[in-house]
Amino acid sequence: MNAQYPITTTPKYNFPPPIETLQLPQQFIEFSIRSLKKTQHSQTSITNNTTIQFPTTEYPKRFSPTTSLAKLIPNRAKTPIVAIDVSSIKLGETETGILLATRGAIVWRQDNHYHYLRIGPFPFHITEKNKNEIYSLNQHHKKAHLQEYTSPNLLYTQTRLTTLLERWIQMSVNQTTHNSLILWDGSLTAGTPETSVQEMEQLLKKARDNQNTVLAFSKMTRLLLHGYRVTDLIWKHPSPCLLKIQNYPIHVGPLCLMGNVHVAKLTEDRYTFRLDIDKQLSHKQSIEAVQKLLGNDLILQSYPETLRLAHIFSTFTANEVLGIQRCIAKESNMRIITRPNIRRILFGRFGKGLEG
Amino acid sequence: MRLYKKEGTTIQIISFPNEKVEKGDYLTVEDPNTGKSLIVQVIDIQYANIPGILDELLRNYNGDSYIQGEDVDPFEVATHIAYIQDACLLICKIRATNNNGDIISTSSWLPSRSQAIVKRLPVETLFAQAKINGKHSMHLGETIEKKQLHVDVGALDGGLNIITGKKGTGKSHISKLLTLSLVNHGAPVVILDLNSEYTGLGQDVDGKPNEFHGKIHVLTPRQNLKVTLIQLKLRVMLSILVNALHLPGTSAREFRRIWCSLEQKGVLTMYELGEGIRNWKCNQHVRDALFSRYYTLLNSGLFTDNPAQSSSLEDSLYKARIGGVVVINLHDTSIIDRLIVVEYVLGKLMELLANWKLRAIFLFAEEAHLYLRETYWDDIVTRMRHFGVFTTFITNQPDTIRENIYRQADNLFLFNFNNEHDLETISRASKVDAETVKCVARDLPPHHCLVLGKVVNDFPIVTKVRKLDVHALGQTRLFFSKESY
Repeated sequence: MNAQYPITTTPKYNFPPPIETLQLPQQFIEFSIRSLKKTQHSQTSITNNTTIQFPTTEYPKRFSPTTSLAKLIPNRAKTPIVAIDVSSIKLGETETGILLATRGAIVWRQDNHYHYLRIGPFPFHITEKNKNEIYSLNQHHKKAHLQEYTSPNLLYTQTRLTTLLERWIQMSVNQTTHNSLILWDGSLTAGTPETSVQEMEQLLKKARDNQNTVLAFSKMTRLLLHGYRVTDLIWKHPSPCLLKIQNYPIHVGPLCLMGNVHVAKLTEDRYTFRLDIDKQLSHKQSIEAVQKLLGNDLILQSYPETLRLAHIFSTFTANEVLGIQRCIAKESNMRIITRPNIRRILFGRFGKGLEG
Repeated sequence: MRLYKKEGTTIQIISFPNEKVEKGDYLTVEDPNTGKSLIVQVIDIQYANIPGILDELLRNYNGDSYIQGEDVDPFEVATHIAYIQDACLLICKIRATNNNGDIISTSSWLPSRSQAIVKRLPVETLFAQAKINGKHSMHLGETIEKKQLHVDVGALDGGLNIITGKKGTGKSHISKLLTLSLVNHGAPVVILDLNSEYTGLGQDVDGKPNEFHGKIHVLTPRQNLKVTLIQLKLRVMLSILVNALHLPGTSAREFRRIWCSLEQKGVLTMYELGEGIRNWKCNQHVRDALFSRYYTLLNSGLFTDNPAQSSSLEDSLYKARIGGVVVINLHDTSIIDRLIVVEYVLGKLMELLANWKLRAIFLFAEEAHLYLRETYWDDIVTRMRHFGVFTTFITNQPDTIRENIYRQADNLFLFNFNNEHDLETISRASKVDAETVKCVARDLPPHHCLVLGKVVNDFPIVTKVRKLDVHALGQTRLFFSKESY
């Protein structure tokens, strides 16, 4: 897996890399093609509710953390901002599995202009037969899979594939950019079936090696402090400010927090976000990174515009879903039918939630 | 193309970018289970309501260069997304049902949505199925599909027709085309020519005599349209006096006595008429009223006492009875003289038709509101039709034609209109639904016409009117033209 990443030796800033250098992992594309070939002549049913989001699983246990609040002053020293986000969507079901699509987006701000690179969409047909192939795509996942006692549910493969693409893009960006702020969507939590501790360590190390700083913004968190959600702690404080939660346990069950947990309030409104910053960076470096973000990116509702755009560009619109479904139908010669929503049939307008 | 929805007589069809369909095109919605098919016409083309399209457009807008980027799309999904994005919704009107070859004007059945096959229906196939060409074929122009369109000019027979459209769209052109086609099939035509547009029908574009040269008879009041009182019957004269010159009833009665007296004496001339009014024993007010009308008639230049100077409208109509045109040139004629001339011509026509001296006549009246009296409108759609006057009104102001005329029109040749009020007026025509008129007429290019009515067997057809090899006259005079320098 690592061999597929081009190693950049030039120390100077060279982002964005030409598209050719961002070679897609061949195995990833091949798996997509292979999976779709097997869908030929099979019927696909489209579920009414195609978007499934999986919550981040975090298990906070007893701990005695402390907090320290830091006021922030925007630092306008020119620093490139790069944001990465990946989306996936369930396109429908077949007799043997599910159809998915993933897409990643990289957005960077340079000279007051935003630029984007969209990678994908990659359609997949995941079946009981081929779901284990996902793990062969990544060495780390292979190991993670070996640790699992039972085969993962087909539904979780959506998260696995999404994370796979996300980590690949993150690694590509980490090693092709220098002296940049790299914004991730989510947390720096490892030890999940999708992301091993070793993989996260490698990602963060590569970023540090190139003098990059990874800032991970979580829109939702379940971390509590003194019975309160951590993001509610500083909404009354004047902005911009950063609350560091110290002495938070690194290991929570199988999970490992690879970053220091902060709560960021970057604009004058009620919005606050959990912000994870690489644990290996000093507090001063962390503060400096957030101050550079304030001085170099447009921040609205406490959220960086670059990351917002990455989210927007990776997200699938309903029109795109139809387009991908058509693509699959045409390339794989499938007849698409709509499977009735059994919840709707049973409960009428009260039949909400997932299909099935 | 896929059948999507049906509401009343409107059908909605989803069309994809590789299926080129235009407004006015015909489609068949074939139900393989029943063997029946609906014949529908596209009256509007809209973007299909694709879910998420607004998000897509907003996200990909980069007009201000605020954000630029590239896509790595190894599966080339973008082409499929664009395909969906560009899908169109065709709003169609049901025109008929083809039940195993029988064309029936009904829409009481519903084709299967999942299995219906939607195909284009070429106009020539439609015409063949609907048997439209008829005996008296006329080359009208070409269809949207660039195929020659032939219609049955015989459908104008016994009918009331309207040619309307905004200025410069080709109304006079189609009326000339219809006129010459009627002549070709041996029909007599009378044109009330307000702008001297039809006087060149007998010449080709270079001004040389064409095949119709001997069949075009131009009559210009004061010049070659003069009549003696003997030629003019009392009934026609009274009609002029009462309707055109608004002579009161009492005065009309006195006039009748004077006329009869002169007729008995055998001295029915304009001079003697003046003397008769002068010497007639009657109330002074009546005499004044008669004199004022007498001088109006005298000044019109239409009347003469010299039989050698007079020309007989009757003769011209007689010549035209086996295929010819009598053009009444009303150009450079005052409003009152125009009314007198039109009263005379229509009176004479009625007289000839009533006596079966003429079998029937096709009357083309351009901007008729400028010379037709109020009561004539009803006459034309009721009484005169039965006598054999088949009128075609030509106007760029549709609201000048009464609503009942639209209701009873047998054929409508509709050119472009943008004005909502005008479209609303025309949409009252009974030959087609209001939606078709409003949607199609709004987007007609110049010289393209929506033909409605008997002439196309009630299948509205959009056609580009063919060119004519006749001398174009009556064009708008321009100040900034080459000739002005």
